[in-house]
Amino acid sequence: MSENKVYIIPCSGIGKAFGGMCREAAYIVVNELSPDKAEIECLPLVVKGKKEVIDALNANKIITIDGCTAKCAYTDVRVAVREPDAVFMSTDIVKKYRDLKPEKDIMILGKNAKVLSRKLAEEIRDKVDELYVE
Amino acid sequence: MSNSSKPMIALKPKVGIIACSGEKLVEGTLTRVATRIVVEKLRPFITTILCQPLFMAGDINHKGGGQEREFAKKHKTITIEGCEEECGKMAVEKYSAPAEATIYVKDIMKQHPELVPTSPQNLGEDGMKLAEIIAQEVAKKVDEIYKNQ
Repeated sequence: MSENKVYIIPCSGIGKAFGGMCREAAYIVVNELSPDKAEIECLPLVVKGKKEVIDALNANKIITIDGCTAKCAYTDVRVAVREPDAVFMSTDIVKKYRDLKPEKDIMILGKNAKVLSRKLAEEIRDKVDELYVE
Repeated sequence: MSNSSKPMIALKPKVGIIACSGEKLVEGTLTRVATRIVVEKLRPFITTILCQPLFMAGDINHKGGGQEREFAKKHKTITIEGCEEECGKMAVEKYSAPAEATIYVKDIMKQHPELVPTSPQNLGEDGMKLAEIIAQEVAKKVDEIYKNQ
């Protein structure tokens, strides 16, 4: 865990492609678009209430990404830590690009789902830039 | 036409599979892919997926809220853990009932040091082979639990 990072918490959704898109977008942000500013953290550890993770999240900015109306990432972070600084939904990006219908594949995302994930990641990158404090 | 290729109707309760899904570790992705292999390919008619984070979020007002907890109270569950934190096991125990079995991905990885997954984002060929092996282990446990219900 690092100090002064924007933490990205994607939902761990495993039943639909929308959850996988959250995860993929988070990886694109932390590995490619904003590696020096953003870091991913495990949502299951937040649910477990691991102290080091909760403390690190409390001390930094948090962005949650959810794939369905249960909003697990947002809800669990709000309950275990605090209100996130920004929230994203993978379903919003799907509505924005209706010509790119995500495939149903979950194990390995389909072509459209990957393109949508990158578009979502770019929006998250802009938010990371806004929230990040040197 | 023979009916042998048709799936048998599941007469016993399904077994719930809970992958830790940890986003930060490659082992988390392995739990996730292995779970999908079990539920999609190996034991599609007798298993179902439960989302670990939904155990906490499930209590909040939401359409269908609490279903994960209720299912795990009334059905046998298997958790698949990517690390020693045992997030899946802890969540199901805290919000529902103790899991019937737990599979530790790291133990299986130790048995196959020749298979090195690429990254949490992309398991690569080795990672996919490992996920298949993990899924086979989970399927064996599913059969054991399902049979003894």
